[in-house]
Amino acid sequence: MNPLHRLPYGDRWTSTTASVAGMALLFVALGMAVATLVAAVDGTDAVALAAATAVTAVVGAVLFHVATPGARDAAAIFSAVGTTWVAASLLGALPYLLAGTFAVAGRPWAVVLADALFESVSGFSCTGSTVFGAHNPIESHGSGILMYRQLTQWAGGMGIVVLVVMVLPSLRSSGLGLIDAESPGEGIERLTPRISTTAVRFWGIYAGFTLVVAIGLLAAGMGPFDAVAHALSTASTGGFSTRDASIGHWDSLSIEVVLVVAMLIGGANFTLHGRLVWTRRFTHHRDPEFRGYLAMVGAGTLLVTLLLVDDGMGLGRALRAAVFNVVTLGTSSGFGNATGEGSAGDFTSWASGPQMVLLLFLVFGGCTGSTAGGVKVMRLRIGISHAHRTLRSFRRPRAVLLVRHGRTTVPDHLVERIAGFMVVYGLLVVGGTMVVAALGTDLVTAMGGVIGSLGNMGPALGEAGPTASYADAYSTPARMVLSVLMLVGRLEIFPMLLMLVAPYRALDGATRGLRIRARGRLGR
Amino acid sequence: MSRPVGSGERSRARRGTAWPSWAAATTWAISVALGAAGLLAVAAGLVDLLGAGDDTAPLLVVGGSAGLLAAVLAVLVRPPDRIRDADTLAAVTGCLVLFIVAVAGVLLLVEPSTAPADALFRATTVATTTALEVAPVDAADHALRFLVGGAQWLGGIGALLVAVAVLPFFGAGREFADRSRRGGRRPMAPDPATAVRHLAVVHGLASAVTLAGFLVVGVAPFDAVLLAMATASTGGLVAGTDLASAAVQWVAIVGMAIAGTSLVVLWRLGVGRSRNLLRSTELQAYLGLLVVAPAAFLLWTDGSGVDGIRRAVFTVTAAVTTTGFPMAPGGTWAPAAPVLLLGLVSIGPMTGSTGGGFQILRHRILARVAVRELLRQLHPSAIITARLGGRIAAEETLARVVVTQFLFVSVLFGTAVVATAGLDLATALAASVHAISTAGPVRALDGSLVDVGAWPTTVRLALLPAMVVGRLSVYPAIVALGAGTTLVRDRVRFRRRLMAGRRRRADR
Repeated sequence: MNPLHRLPYGDRWTSTTASVAGMALLFVALGMAVATLVAAVDGTDAVALAAATAVTAVVGAVLFHVATPGARDAAAIFSAVGTTWVAASLLGALPYLLAGTFAVAGRPWAVVLADALFESVSGFSCTGSTVFGAHNPIESHGSGILMYRQLTQWAGGMGIVVLVVMVLPSLRSSGLGLIDAESPGEGIERLTPRISTTAVRFWGIYAGFTLVVAIGLLAAGMGPFDAVAHALSTASTGGFSTRDASIGHWDSLSIEVVLVVAMLIGGANFTLHGRLVWTRRFTHHRDPEFRGYLAMVGAGTLLVTLLLVDDGMGLGRALRAAVFNVVTLGTSSGFGNATGEGSAGDFTSWASGPQMVLLLFLVFGGCTGSTAGGVKVMRLRIGISHAHRTLRSFRRPRAVLLVRHGRTTVPDHLVERIAGFMVVYGLLVVGGTMVVAALGTDLVTAMGGVIGSLGNMGPALGEAGPTASYADAYSTPARMVLSVLMLVGRLEIFPMLLMLVAPYRALDGATRGLRIRARGRLGR
Repeated sequence: MSRPVGSGERSRARRGTAWPSWAAATTWAISVALGAAGLLAVAAGLVDLLGAGDDTAPLLVVGGSAGLLAAVLAVLVRPPDRIRDADTLAAVTGCLVLFIVAVAGVLLLVEPSTAPADALFRATTVATTTALEVAPVDAADHALRFLVGGAQWLGGIGALLVAVAVLPFFGAGREFADRSRRGGRRPMAPDPATAVRHLAVVHGLASAVTLAGFLVVGVAPFDAVLLAMATASTGGLVAGTDLASAAVQWVAIVGMAIAGTSLVVLWRLGVGRSRNLLRSTELQAYLGLLVVAPAAFLLWTDGSGVDGIRRAVFTVTAAVTTTGFPMAPGGTWAPAAPVLLLGLVSIGPMTGSTGGGFQILRHRILARVAVRELLRQLHPSAIITARLGGRIAAEETLARVVVTQFLFVSVLFGTAVVATAGLDLATALAASVHAISTAGPVRALDGSLVDVGAWPTTVRLALLPAMVVGRLSVYPAIVALGAGTTLVRDRVRFRRRLMAGRRRRADR
């Protein structure tokens, strides 16, 4: 007898979570397969990657085969999205484990497991923090594993669930909710009436943009493998590199210019890019968030440059270091252009003033609807407008004061939602800093790591700078906490915090009969 | 809360029978600030007679003059029917700022060799009960020591007045004064004026109990008075007084715990309305912090035995209540220990106490907002309310607390950005948190006490606005700033219009 037939609710298990996670894992397996092909050319880690591909594909196929999408309420959607990301991160660690990427002599298996998981989560969430370092250089590994790292970021950038919505027509109306729960910002804007077509278009723009970045990097002097690899992590504003010194390895102004432009585009709203591509309408300049985003990056760059010059750095070097680091942190990419410890690009060696400015950029991030993390410029603008309204209401208690975003009036329910988001974000930062500090990290490194992880930034401050390894800066339990925060930040908090509500309700419903019977027996 | 000035009032103001709301509020603020500073100067002058007495005459003259001016101003005011909310808040800010300037002037009078910036910093740190000591006070200078202690004590009373003025904006002021008695609760008084009188009595009694405690354990009377003033006001600046003895520290612990408790709780205990007192979530959280935090702190420091426990309880209570009595670390501290203290300082004690920080009530409201947002995510169309003290909290109240958090963090980061001009990142962040929470002393990453006197003057001056904003629970200072900006903007616009009009006339 087919054991799957014994599953509840008839022949097929009605579970949106299992169905979406199964299909998402098939996509993750596809990425592993691409990395296997690259590894086959290189000759290293091909077997490990092939095995990981097979395991992930089988798990994904089984889940997708046995389950059919069911409930479409908010709890089910959060459960589907949260579980998908957790499952992708867990199985995404398989290639590292099977290839022994982190099995460095003297490291206990629990630490190796934690490292693999951390790198996987950091990849999918586009954080770009890494546990590679002097003890385990990136460049000592084969191209298959390195390409796999980059692909995890690329998949995470636009979103795995968006991919699922693209190919799963059975999701119907819940597709919008799923994309909404996964995408950064306050709701997505449809590019077409059909949500699956919108998903296809988003991925189309994303793939095209990645191709353009790869060509740009090739033209700037990067090798083909590195260009493709960095294009994947630039379009996704992820920040993983195939080199230990990240972009500092090339020490090339032209490469940095290409990356700065690409990161700025990656950190902007993809709906604007979509409008430009599909309707030939350039509307970026009309978008208040985009204008605010550019203004913030510009002001930050200017301020950091001035502070660096004031600290004795030459104007050219200061400008180059400031532009790159402000953009890389302002877009949550997290590349580093430090050529070595203490070089101009190593912002942890700067004076504390410019570091403080960078800390603010770690919080804000890019625009809504982009691949960037952080609080987002739109929320910041609305938050400031809300604060302004509240303060004005003291002087004009009877006036009807509105919160505005550009020329648009923001409805109160959205203002409350954003206020609630910021409160939860703030509580997570404070709580996370306390926990990470309790696990043996100093204040600046703990705070930088927590803000960086929640904002999916990558390099942090203190001991976790652009030339440092998270394996050296944080204890293993602290890295696990940061891994959770990365996923929480990538999914913008709520899906991760509420992903267990639907399973709890299901369990509660399933055991209710038992409890009633038990109560009845006790009563007798 | 009071409503805006009505048209009838405006017409009366025009006739000269009553002053406009802003004018009355401002004059009262000036009067209160000058009166308090004058009283302090006179008292310090008299106390100086215990020592050399060389400062007595100038202090009495200056204090008397300030008091006289304050009395004249208070008599001059023809109060309007109502004072606008914004004017109340702006006046509270103006009062504190003027008091600081006046105290700085008196400090310069007593110690003419001090740099004006240092005098201003010391005046701010004592008046806002922050306890960041710029230089040790000469133990023989009775006037100066009393000025430091007295300014802290008055700053504590000021904090209570601010609580009465500001708390209604956060939906919590009904515990002090509420005529309606909605929700079946009996407030402290039916109106704010009576509530202020009751608060002064309770604060005075709490100070007296702390003073008696210090006297019992053998502290010299004058030192005991100074210590009691620093403890009851959560000021924490002990000018030339020794806190090394174990018995003194235990008394200080109890005194600080009392000072961090809401005076409404103390008043209810005093009048025998202690039933259901422990049901207060805020009190539970405060007591929980005082019990759990020392245990965590002990875990991260290598203290042991009764001595270790006392040191941990003392350090943590000083942080939670934002008193900030200094105590050097006895051994090695884990990195988490100073972070814990920093967290406790920013949480702060109960609302309605003399302590600073963000305070537990506001954290509770934020927690409610966070939970509500989580529920809203699951049920987007549901109407989900947040309850505070058994009542449904108004959306306006919640919005104000959220905005307060936003402003608190903004001021903190803004101050830290400026402070990095002369400090490393960790110290700049710690200094900003301490300044806005009005708690000293700042500690390095290893727990050692940082010498504030060694900081550049620009950094110290950058901390002053944060201390004032923190002492005023953020809102009044920002509203006053907004009012000032509007005034300047209107003036500029008026001048621009005037100039444009003149140009047009000249063209014709």
